[in-house]
Amino acid sequence: MQEDSLAVVDTLTEAYSDQWAGAASGEETNAFIQFMSSNDLIFVVLGVSLIIWLVLIFFLFRVDKKVSELEQEIQSNKTS
Amino acid sequence: MKIWKYVVAIWMTVVISAGFLIYIPEIPILEQTARNIFFHVPMWMTMFVLFLISFWYSIKYLNEPDPVFDIKASSAASVGVAFGVCGLLTGSLWARFTWGSWWTFAEPKMNLAALALMIYVAYFMLRSAFDDREKRAKLAAVYNIFAVTTIPFLLYVVPRQLTSLHPGADGNPAFSEITADELRFILYPAFIGFIALGIWIYDIHHRYNRVKLELENS
Repeated sequence: MQEDSLAVVDTLTEAYSDQWAGAASGEETNAFIQFMSSNDLIFVVLGVSLIIWLVLIFFLFRVDKKVSELEQEIQSNKTS
Repeated sequence: MKIWKYVVAIWMTVVISAGFLIYIPEIPILEQTARNIFFHVPMWMTMFVLFLISFWYSIKYLNEPDPVFDIKASSAASVGVAFGVCGLLTGSLWARFTWGSWWTFAEPKMNLAALALMIYVAYFMLRSAFDDREKRAKLAAVYNIFAVTTIPFLLYVVPRQLTSLHPGADGNPAFSEITADELRFILYPAFIGFIALGIWIYDIHHRYNRVKLELENS
């Protein structure tokens, strides 16, 4: 029962598509998804924490490098 | 880039992962939040170490008024305050789900920890009040020596004498029979990792301030 206009497609009560990623059952997903879904989803929290940590540490390395560059610039200005 | 920074990055990644992954015994009320100990307590330990570094350079400044010592003292104090704020916020979140309230005004450790941080906030307010660099450095150093002496009393001596829900109060050691022994295997590496991370951030912070000082002087 698809309507003519896109605006009136009811996606709240009807599935937008029968290919819905979240609906896949356990046996159909790959090993990674099964692992992440185990133990009450704690590994998802671990994943989120590690992403935050790794981004922050990457940022820290970059700032450290930038300060080093400034230090070297000052050092070379002094000697020249 | 010094090699120890890479070690800290890997070490901390392992500590965070292990903190989530190791088996922890079932503790009533705490349940899985017992893992918070790996992250909440090291915040305070890192704060103490940074305040000690700050204290050390304040003394050195009073001995020999080199502006670099002042920069090191204020940088260590500001990174220490940042870790202290993390400790307060994580403690507050943890308290909501174990004690049932975001903030308990009858809880000595919580309130005194907040007071300790305010003493350090006052340190930065004091610093901002002076335009003259030498005057600022000298007064800040004297104030800092006063500030650091309050820390053991506010966070250990006084809370231990009072009734409190926080472990380590009411005459109890923080780690007693009520706490599972296994937690130490991650907790102590977490102390080392977070303290090293704090020192790293302090290292960047004080080098930035030094560069700024050099540019102002040139």
